[in-house]
Amino acid sequence: MVLFKGINFHNLKEYFNIALKSLTTRRVRSFLTTLGIVIGVFLIVSLLSLSQGLKNAVLSQLNMMGKDLIMIMPGGDMMASMMGGQKLTEEDIKIIKETKGVKKIAPVDYTSITVRYGDSKKTILIYGIDLRNGLDIYKNDVGWSMADGRWPTAGKNEVILGSVIAKETFSGIKVGSTVIIKGRKFIVSGILNSVGSKQDDTMIGIDMNIFKSVTGERNGAKQMMVKVESAVSVNEVADRIKVNLNENRKRQIGQKEEDSSYTVLTSEKAANIVGNVMGLIQAVIVGFASIAIVVGGIGIMNTMYTSVRERTKEIGIMKAIGAKNKTITTIFLIESGIFGALGGVGGTLLGLIFAKSIEFYFQIHPMFYLKADVGPMLILFSIMFSFLVGCVSGYFPSRTASKLKPVDALRYE
Amino acid sequence: MEKSVIKLQDVWKKYKLGNEDLSILKGINLEVPTGSFTTIMGPSGSGKSTLMHLLGLLDTPSTGKIFFDGQDVSKFTEDELAKIRGKKIGFIFQQFNLLQNLTALENVMLPMIFQGVSEQARFERAKTLLDSVDLEHRINHKPKEMSGGEQQRIAIARSLVNNPEIIIADEPTGNLDSNTGETVMSILTKLHKEQKKTIIIVTHDPSIAHYSENTIHIKDGQIIKNHFQESQVLWQENGSVKN
Repeated sequence: MVLFKGINFHNLKEYFNIALKSLTTRRVRSFLTTLGIVIGVFLIVSLLSLSQGLKNAVLSQLNMMGKDLIMIMPGGDMMASMMGGQKLTEEDIKIIKETKGVKKIAPVDYTSITVRYGDSKKTILIYGIDLRNGLDIYKNDVGWSMADGRWPTAGKNEVILGSVIAKETFSGIKVGSTVIIKGRKFIVSGILNSVGSKQDDTMIGIDMNIFKSVTGERNGAKQMMVKVESAVSVNEVADRIKVNLNENRKRQIGQKEEDSSYTVLTSEKAANIVGNVMGLIQAVIVGFASIAIVVGGIGIMNTMYTSVRERTKEIGIMKAIGAKNKTITTIFLIESGIFGALGGVGGTLLGLIFAKSIEFYFQIHPMFYLKADVGPMLILFSIMFSFLVGCVSGYFPSRTASKLKPVDALRYE
Repeated sequence: MEKSVIKLQDVWKKYKLGNEDLSILKGINLEVPTGSFTTIMGPSGSGKSTLMHLLGLLDTPSTGKIFFDGQDVSKFTEDELAKIRGKKIGFIFQQFNLLQNLTALENVMLPMIFQGVSEQARFERAKTLLDSVDLEHRINHKPKEMSGGEQQRIAIARSLVNNPEIIIADEPTGNLDSNTGETVMSILTKLHKEQKKTIIIVTHDPSIAHYSENTIHIKDGQIIKNHFQESQVLWQENGSVKN
């Protein structure tokens, strides 16, 4: 490596001591210089570990969804279909059901309604579940399982509760309790285990037909889950569904509609989208945090130049008593390397503490499940990178120091 | 003729001052015999410090040659000169020039680190030398906690650690009171007398010259007097001057 060319590795321990003594005599400056690197590394470690944790959480949820499952939503992209009030029509549902390769369908509809349990009233997301035809999909492919009680019976006023509803929203609620939705009484038939998705864990599920009569939303569904037949390519079926839906839409509104107005997602495709989006976010994080570290590096360079000036006489003395150019270079590079490495270690520690605090916060207030993912590679990379930035920043100042002529350096006051 | 440890042959030292060349040393010819005690004297601005820097291989001449132990070193690189300085020359400065953030012991050990001496040997050698200048009780103190005389004795110990052939001292008593100055001079004369070290002292203090065998007077960059006072060695261990 060019940077280390000419460094005298002999006597490194002694030079390290000399460098350390000089750093500790200028404590405030050393601290501030190190802080510059600490901030950059802190950003990298905390934000990367949290975003990685977020990515893991979303992906693990997607993984719980079976590989042979397809989600269909109205709207051209995922965001629009989640935000917008568009619905799949009954006709759409029929087309999906009749597409070749489709084994089973489960329409999903949901809306927020005020639910009363005892004296407490909360606005809760109510899922309409096709208990007659779609329950298998929830059990086998979405990963729902019963913690207590049994599945509701189709056509009856029975509900299942997400795990968080039972634990937190309505404390004391249990199988057999009664909740009131829009003035109608429902018996809790079962409580689900945690699914790992905030949305699923905080919902109350009722039979689709009852959902329709309670909400008055009698037609269509917000989403559709489709299970494909075994030994059929999931992606092919997904494409077929999309083509069929679009062709039907075109027939209805003439030939103008060019863009796809449906989102058809396989779990694989969804995972790819999540991976891409999170990858982009992480790249941006690394980019900005790297700039912060480079700015820290400029801080190190500045400090080192100041230090070379201040210690010109000291350099002259060392040269007079036998220090070679390499020796001086080595001592100054060690100093800047210490700044970098200390900044790396400090930033990593702070980043870890911060990321773990956020994780802890979300354990207490579970808006979603977030576990900071701090891998050894991330730690190693952060420390090595900042050490390298330290060495690079110290390179030019240390060369300036080593090139001082002893006689000039000694005369310097 | 006696063997000379350093020989200067028509040495010029010039600096650029604006567009003009300023000659600090003008054709110096000088031999320092091995084992001699030489004083270089001259008023300030005479070029004696520049001469000292050249003798100590801290600087290279603009023209002319410098021989060290018979070898022409005038075209040596900085690292080659550093190697000779580290092994064969010990420096004592008016300002003591100790590293402020190192202790007395560490300051004395420093030149040995540059020579790759082992830790144990460094420690023992430094301790012995600090004992010999009566500083055994101060080895872990930093320079700023010590008096001028103590600091100069550390510098002397430091100059001796690598067992150099020559000791070059630039106004070694300049920042000391006369009693302390005498102590320092007596250490130097003892080194000369007992260990046969070559000693070169640069000073403008005439009383120092009386310790030496050879006084060189320099003025306006030229040697105006160079008398070798072999027959009348005037150094005395108590530092008093014999007329």
